[in-house]
Amino acid sequence: MKLRKIPVGAHPNLLHPPYASTNERAPRQPAVAIEPAAAELSGPRFDRTLLFPNHDDMTRQTGNMPLGERIIVAGRVLDENGDPLPDTLVELWQCNASGRYHHEADQHDAPLDPNFRGFGRVMTDAKGRYRFTTVKPGAYPWRNHPNAWRPAHIHFSVFGQTMLERLITQMYFPGDPLLGYDPIFNSVPTDRARERMIAHFDLEETRPEFALGYHFDIVLRGPEATPENR
Amino acid sequence: MAELLITPSQTIGPFFKEGMELPQGGTLFPDSAPGRRVRVSGVVTDGQGKAVSDALIEFWQPDAAGRFGGPRPGSSAGFGRVLTGKDGRYSISTILPGAVPAADGKTQAPHILVVIFARGLLRQLVTRIYFEGEASNAADPALARCGARAPTLVAKRDGADAYAWNISLQGTNETVFFEA
Repeated sequence: MKLRKIPVGAHPNLLHPPYASTNERAPRQPAVAIEPAAAELSGPRFDRTLLFPNHDDMTRQTGNMPLGERIIVAGRVLDENGDPLPDTLVELWQCNASGRYHHEADQHDAPLDPNFRGFGRVMTDAKGRYRFTTVKPGAYPWRNHPNAWRPAHIHFSVFGQTMLERLITQMYFPGDPLLGYDPIFNSVPTDRARERMIAHFDLEETRPEFALGYHFDIVLRGPEATPENR
Repeated sequence: MAELLITPSQTIGPFFKEGMELPQGGTLFPDSAPGRRVRVSGVVTDGQGKAVSDALIEFWQPDAAGRFGGPRPGSSAGFGRVLTGKDGRYSISTILPGAVPAADGKTQAPHILVVIFARGLLRQLVTRIYFEGEASNAADPALARCGARAPTLVAKRDGADAYAWNISLQGTNETVFFEA
């Protein structure tokens, strides 16, 4: 199997000075190009024993409802060729509706919610689909630059079929006025690529009398299309 | 043919801890797995030499017989995930990987694939751990691409069943990172 090359501009550059932490952490040497071998072209397989109780519903992890606007997020994990990736582990984490993470390092003066831990795991079904329920995360300040605020986002970690497809990204919400000011979102160089990280409001996924639905597809590197494998 | 734009990478940020812990942690194979059991440990540092206390590191390797997923392919045997501590240190328990030939049939030296995520990394870094004293290192095609920086990928013996391997994200001793 040969994977498609990553197109130029599809991912952020590692060094992106507006995001201050890249200045001490981004490697200065260019990456060394190698032919992918067996380790890169394989990867672990996880099964459903990894899933937490109520793994796909972050509003039901303690027995009481967290505060905030309940939402449903659903979508597919696909490769570049549009082929769905079944049985793929998707890990999720986010802050609560007030913009505070259930994490010791988060010192933002916003309330913790005893009924919201903010992490989940789902696996895609045979058609590459996933779905989970949560509350809409809040915006929160960070110290990157004066008056810096992160737009609302949910973190996604996805495995795919091989270690070369491994992806960690963030899902943003449509119409968020903070997107234009966020150096992490804007580290992705093109409008088209940035739009890939924004969920769409989805009336089909919206459950009457219950929660708004958002659709978010995740596209991973895929095999080069050749006459033999297409 | 549909050709979709891939989803861009974003940083893991600093707040991932609980949701990203896996049952196997840094134990890549159960105690029962055949092979020579070793510990690999080290420290992750940034361009100022400061400890990186919020990295997540993943490891993927074949078993001693060179099989990915272990004797029962389709498992997570050979995979590990650790979070660095306040001192930037990590440690894994594994068995020495078997050698797996390259796609063109050439020799590859035994190695562990390593993927690093952290605040300040907008996409993952990919590298490999090789082992000091392994004769086939000299013939490994990926190590050969690294020139004078190849030693940054070779874990040093550190006692009977232990190896030391540090990750320097940036600076004079910067670890080689790959794109494949």
